[in-house]
Amino acid sequence: MLQVDQLTTADPKVSLQDISFQFDAGNIYTILGQTGAGKTELLRALIGLDPLVEGDIKLDGQSIAKRPVKDRSMSLVYQQFINYPHLSVLDNVAFPLRRQGKKKADAQSLAAKMLTVVGLGDYLQRRPAQLSGGQQQRVALARAMVKKSRILMLDEPLANLDYKLREQLREEFPRLVTGNDDSVILYTTTEPREAMELGNTMIIMTDGRIVACGPPADLFANPPTKDAASVISDPPISFISGFVRSGALYFGEGQLAPNNGLHLPMDGPVTIALRPDAIEPGGAFNATIGLSEFSGSETIVHLDFDFGRAIMLVEGIETFEVGSHMSVSIKAEHIMLFSSDGQNITTRIK
Amino acid sequence: MNKFYHILKTLFLFSWSLFVVFPFLWALTTSFKDANAITSGATYIPWVDYEPSTQGWTSLFTTGSQGINIVGPFIDSAAVTLIASLVSLLLGTLAAYGLSRFEYRLGFVKNADITFFFISQRIMPPIVLAIPFFLMLKELGALDTIFGLVLVYVALLLPIAVWVMTDFFAGIPKELDEMAMTDGCSPIGAFFRVILPNSVPGLVVAGMFCLIFGWNDFFFAFTLTFTETQLLPVSIVSLNSSVTPWWSLSAFALISVAPLACVAVIVERYMSRGTMSGAIR
Amino acid sequence: MTPTSTFGVNTMLSSKHFFLLPALLTLIAIIVFPLLFTIRVSFSSWDVFQSGLDYIGGKNYGRVLEDERFWQSLGRLSLLSSISVCLQYTLGFALALAVWKQVRGGRVLRVLFLIPMMTTPVVMSVIWRTVFHESLGPANDILGMFGFGAVPWLSSATGAFISVLIVEVWQWTPFMFLLLLAGLVSLPREPYLAAAIDGAGTLRTFWQVTFPLMAPITIGALIIRLIEASKIMDTVYVLTSGGPGTATETSSYYIYIRGLRDFQIGYSAALSLVYLVIMIVSLTVIAKLLLRLLVGKVG
Repeated sequence: MLQVDQLTTADPKVSLQDISFQFDAGNIYTILGQTGAGKTELLRALIGLDPLVEGDIKLDGQSIAKRPVKDRSMSLVYQQFINYPHLSVLDNVAFPLRRQGKKKADAQSLAAKMLTVVGLGDYLQRRPAQLSGGQQQRVALARAMVKKSRILMLDEPLANLDYKLREQLREEFPRLVTGNDDSVILYTTTEPREAMELGNTMIIMTDGRIVACGPPADLFANPPTKDAASVISDPPISFISGFVRSGALYFGEGQLAPNNGLHLPMDGPVTIALRPDAIEPGGAFNATIGLSEFSGSETIVHLDFDFGRAIMLVEGIETFEVGSHMSVSIKAEHIMLFSSDGQNITTRIK
Repeated sequence: MNKFYHILKTLFLFSWSLFVVFPFLWALTTSFKDANAITSGATYIPWVDYEPSTQGWTSLFTTGSQGINIVGPFIDSAAVTLIASLVSLLLGTLAAYGLSRFEYRLGFVKNADITFFFISQRIMPPIVLAIPFFLMLKELGALDTIFGLVLVYVALLLPIAVWVMTDFFAGIPKELDEMAMTDGCSPIGAFFRVILPNSVPGLVVAGMFCLIFGWNDFFFAFTLTFTETQLLPVSIVSLNSSVTPWWSLSAFALISVAPLACVAVIVERYMSRGTMSGAIR
Repeated sequence: MTPTSTFGVNTMLSSKHFFLLPALLTLIAIIVFPLLFTIRVSFSSWDVFQSGLDYIGGKNYGRVLEDERFWQSLGRLSLLSSISVCLQYTLGFALALAVWKQVRGGRVLRVLFLIPMMTTPVVMSVIWRTVFHESLGPANDILGMFGFGAVPWLSSATGAFISVLIVEVWQWTPFMFLLLLAGLVSLPREPYLAAAIDGAGTLRTFWQVTFPLMAPITIGALIIRLIEASKIMDTVYVLTSGGPGTATETSSYYIYIRGLRDFQIGYSAALSLVYLVIMIVSLTVIAKLLLRLLVGKVG
């Protein structure tokens, strides 16, 4: 439905590099990338707020790259909670409808309905400044959705909220943000968990480029490149240099025997990626505990090996003494291998 | 030590207040005097020092040879100041918004240079422009008219409006305009529907400065008008050079400075809130 | 004031001119053309007897160089504006500091202190003239109460100069007060906490914290006032008419006499341009010096 060809911009900070992509109707795309990856810039270029240096944007086959912002049937929710300070909550949401030429009464009743959906039915006459951050963002969301535009863009809508509000709104999001078969939702975020929960297709960006896309679970299990793996992993993934020689994987002082569910590539250097699920207490590898922290019902343990630092998750709350030693095992069926140019070369033995 | 500072401060504030109000009080008491009271030297308190009379005030509203008409000049002054301020505010706000949101380029001239061009007009001494203005208005047949003065005052006030509003708009997030456009406004529509309604504080500050400099100008009114159009400052000065009694002069002066003295209340409010600080740098 | 990048595409191009052009064209029409005209006129002998644009080369400018009265007026103007602006700044800053944290009655005092700048200079000058009247005015009367003799306020050269100075200080100290107080109000809190923790006294806090933080506003305020002060003529016109003799004649007033009273249009155009150039050059130099002096020291 929305097609992007070789999109290139010349923003002084982050510029988009030759982005081509096809967004299909009825999908929710989450765009995952670190700050400065070009997520916001992509949205701004699509909606027409930033000029294109090259490339084209087509909606239903028609080029819209030269259309004014207001005629693109796109709406955008900003990371900052931006609403019209001089209008009541109701009029804020009615504003885009009025611009579409709807009568005042019709616009207001539609707006009131939408505000009830986002849970602000009791706040219609307030000014945005009188609401909490989470409520303000709900207003912005209602205003963006009420237009029923073909493309709804949400630019890190939860980033500026307090932790609790963020969790609450995130839980509600799937209920609140619903498109229809004829529309596309683009949702940017820096948090892998958010990206995986909310979208049915995930796009990973680094340095103004799209580096991977696909169903979230597939991407997580099998990130195509080192960059993508790094962006999608939380807690962070550790990369270790090692090499393969005569059927065994060597890194630091340690080595992994073959036929452990992993098919090794030809002899030569590789990058080994360790996620927390690849490490378990008890085994042949010795490590020093660098840091231990709690996250919910898990304990995150930072381990220092002779080959570098990696993270292990332990169920439940356990106290680990920093500086003490422990032995762990590294599970070959959970490690990933990348070639020296960053491509994922993991092959598993079925 | 602290006590000493406190006394010094109080004394300073008190004497300055006295200095500030003195000419007003003097004008007030003088406006109720008659010829006898004036010529017997400086006196201050009515009924004690002299017998008050209201002729100073009544003469302002009587026409003919006995009176000095203040109503005409007051209306002219108000008309010129208000119209010129509104026009300057409108043009200046538009220009300031443009300069804060778009990139302009004409050869080596960029936004900062254009802004500087506007603001630098304040350095122009009125006298440099007086003669060409005179000749220009004469060509236009606009000498001695409200229209002519408005034209000149717009040139005078526009730089002030641009100056205050440029800084004000720099403080309004660009995302607000962008949001208006994604919500279906054209760039011009975004300005009028969203930015302008949110610019009231800036407009008030800019508007007040326009009013102050417009209402208080003397030189251009003096050189470009004669009899048909008379502004307050010009008419009081022409009274001054004739043998007008001090009582009328004082009453006249008090009336003509009264409207803007009230503006001080608004200025104070904005100053204390810190709204003005942005407009200053 | 930094221009932001264009936030849109094509439609922007046309609408951006909608915003800027009306004001720009208006200003060019009302100021640039007259200025160009003035430049042309300054090369003509236009006066009462012969009106119109002939061309006499730089004769008028030669005459300016030899016009002692003009150069004297310029010297007087520099003296007057520098003294009055310094006084206004000192007093304005002192007042701003005094009411800065004043809670009780602060509001009333602030309003009161602002009022003089809202009043019309010529109108107040008319009142001041009666105040300074030698036999009937209160100035000498009050001095008499304290046992001083009558001062020839407006009829002696020094007296007239001081009178103009007093009126200027009365009128424009409020402007300094306004800018400086607005600056004080928006100062950050942290440096003061730090100074308090260091145990700095009132004076040291002022010189080491307040004054450096106020440097940018100080420069702005001084420049704005210098610009305005160097145009002074209203007050002089009413109060002293430049007199006695030429004791209080400022450049603007002198040019006014030559141009609109004697009607030596060509010559006064030359005078006014020389005046403008001198003003721009000296104000630029002063601004640069102030920047180096105040900000250089801080940074």
